[in-house]
Amino acid sequence: MKISTKGQLATAMALATLGLIAAMIWWANTEVHEADQQRRQTSEIAQALNDLRMVSFEYILHRTERARRQEEEVAQRLQRMLAAHPIHGPAQAEVLADLREHTQSTHRLFGEFRAGTAAPQPGLPVDEATRRFEAQLSSRLLILQQESLAAALRLGDYATARINAAQQRVVAVIAAGLLLMALTTIGGALLISRSVLRPIARLEQATREVAAGNWGFKLDIGSADEIGQMARHFDAMTQALRDSFAQIEHSNRELAALNKEIEAFSYSVSHDLRGPLRSMDGFSLALLEDYGDKLDDEARDSLQRIRNASQRMGRLIDELLGLSRVTRAELSLRTVNLSEMVREIADGLDKQQPDRKVRWEIADGITVQADRSLLQIALQNLLENAWKFTGKTEHPVIRVGQQRHNGETECFIADNGVGFDMAYANRLFGAFQRLHHESEFAGTGIGLATVQRIFRRHGGSIRVQARPGEGATFYFSLKEHPHERLEQGHPAG
Amino acid sequence: MSDSNKVILLVEDSPDDVTLTLRAFKRSHLMNPICVVRDGIEALDFLFAREAYADRAALPLPELVILDLKLPKLDGLGVLKTIRADERTQLLPVVILTSSKEEQDLITGYSLGANSYVRKPVDFAEFLEAVKVLGLYWLMLNQTAPQRTPQ
Repeated sequence: MKISTKGQLATAMALATLGLIAAMIWWANTEVHEADQQRRQTSEIAQALNDLRMVSFEYILHRTERARRQEEEVAQRLQRMLAAHPIHGPAQAEVLADLREHTQSTHRLFGEFRAGTAAPQPGLPVDEATRRFEAQLSSRLLILQQESLAAALRLGDYATARINAAQQRVVAVIAAGLLLMALTTIGGALLISRSVLRPIARLEQATREVAAGNWGFKLDIGSADEIGQMARHFDAMTQALRDSFAQIEHSNRELAALNKEIEAFSYSVSHDLRGPLRSMDGFSLALLEDYGDKLDDEARDSLQRIRNASQRMGRLIDELLGLSRVTRAELSLRTVNLSEMVREIADGLDKQQPDRKVRWEIADGITVQADRSLLQIALQNLLENAWKFTGKTEHPVIRVGQQRHNGETECFIADNGVGFDMAYANRLFGAFQRLHHESEFAGTGIGLATVQRIFRRHGGSIRVQARPGEGATFYFSLKEHPHERLEQGHPAG
Repeated sequence: MSDSNKVILLVEDSPDDVTLTLRAFKRSHLMNPICVVRDGIEALDFLFAREAYADRAALPLPELVILDLKLPKLDGLGVLKTIRADERTQLLPVVILTSSKEEQDLITGYSLGANSYVRKPVDFAEFLEAVKVLGLYWLMLNQTAPQRTPQ
């Protein structure tokens, strides 16, 4: 059965109990009200009986016409009241019947008494027999009236008993209702504990297990209710996760194998492709050295061209391998002082070509989160470019700094070298793309492709602003804290 | 210039590289006899005076081993491992001379106990310079550990 059905049942039961209690209270109220009315009627009857006795006495003592009329009146009122009195139960009916009979008898007796005492003249002596008869009648009358009064009091007792019974029943029903409600509450609590809390605790444990990497965890809650359904969905979900995880692992293994293959390929490229180049260069030089005096200028020039080409291809192979290494290298992010790194590279360039006078303007204290060796390669490339392309500038200046751009911090390397037409800017970062002739500025055209790949691997980017004859500025950004983003698997506690 | 009794063992499979290396030595005025072997197994046979080199048993070990990494049969790192594992040769100076610029080869080479790691540049002039420095250091300046002759 579903939890919601169970819950609805429990609610219905509680509501029914409440309804029952309410109905009982309403019934008891009516009952008490009726009984109270009955008691009032009874006391009125008793009052009337009392009146009847008083007027009867009065008549017996004074025999006034007024008393006689009053007796008539009271007797009739009494008859009406008795007739109107509601009947509850056979005992009450019996008492009422007695009362009615008594009243009638009393009235009849009173009638006899009146008839017997109507004749004598005032002032004349009444004979003994008559007096005895009168006394007898009046005493019978009084006894009857006394009995009636007793019966009326008994009627009153019945009403009281009815009130008490109603009260007792109300107490019993309320007690039963409360018991029922207590049972319903306990049942509800048990229901919540067994069908909700316990499975939820298991579910909670399951989510923790799965979060901790125990993919094999199964809930197996067999119940047909909502939680059972949820548990089945959960199991299906972990199963799906397990499957996709296995798939990812499989792809990862394939990728790792592929990576190994590429590495092996690079290795053999590095080793085997350079061998023949070495021979070409070495033996050309040997020719030049050993037979140089026997060769004419053209032959020597040709040999020199062979050497140059071999060396250029050697550089190309190296840079291509560098590019592939940059792609494959594992990032190890640290806080790196970019200003210091730039200054070291600048010093190196100054020492390499001491005849060149380049003014360096390097901002202090620039730090970034980056892989040190990759950043070194990128900066080396960018600064060498700046150095190279200011080679024909009269007062070369290379500036390195930091600025805000679109809410992000970015670094820049600006030179006042030859620059280039921005129309070619999109070709700049592709491998083997060159904007200048080899004869003007040497290079392989792989450097900037490597640089871009390095910044992309850091989650950052690089862009360029340039004008022919006015220099170029490279702006680059690294994700501010990429390592935090990677390690946010668990929320900080 | 140098003590010409000090033999150099060159382990190199490419005949071109052998020629060029020998030329570089000659041009650097290093007169030491250079023995050339073409693969890793041959290199070990030479060092431990086995098989074709059994007659070397009475001769001292070479002063220096110049080792290429990519070799037939047994590669340079395998040769180096065997050299360092044997007490007769564990102190022998070994210089790796190779095309490979792979960081991993460098790390493995040094961790297996290579004394130097020199990359063969394409430019022969640079290569010449490297060989000159190498010869100067290992054959003239460096004081090697006392030799142990193989029995």
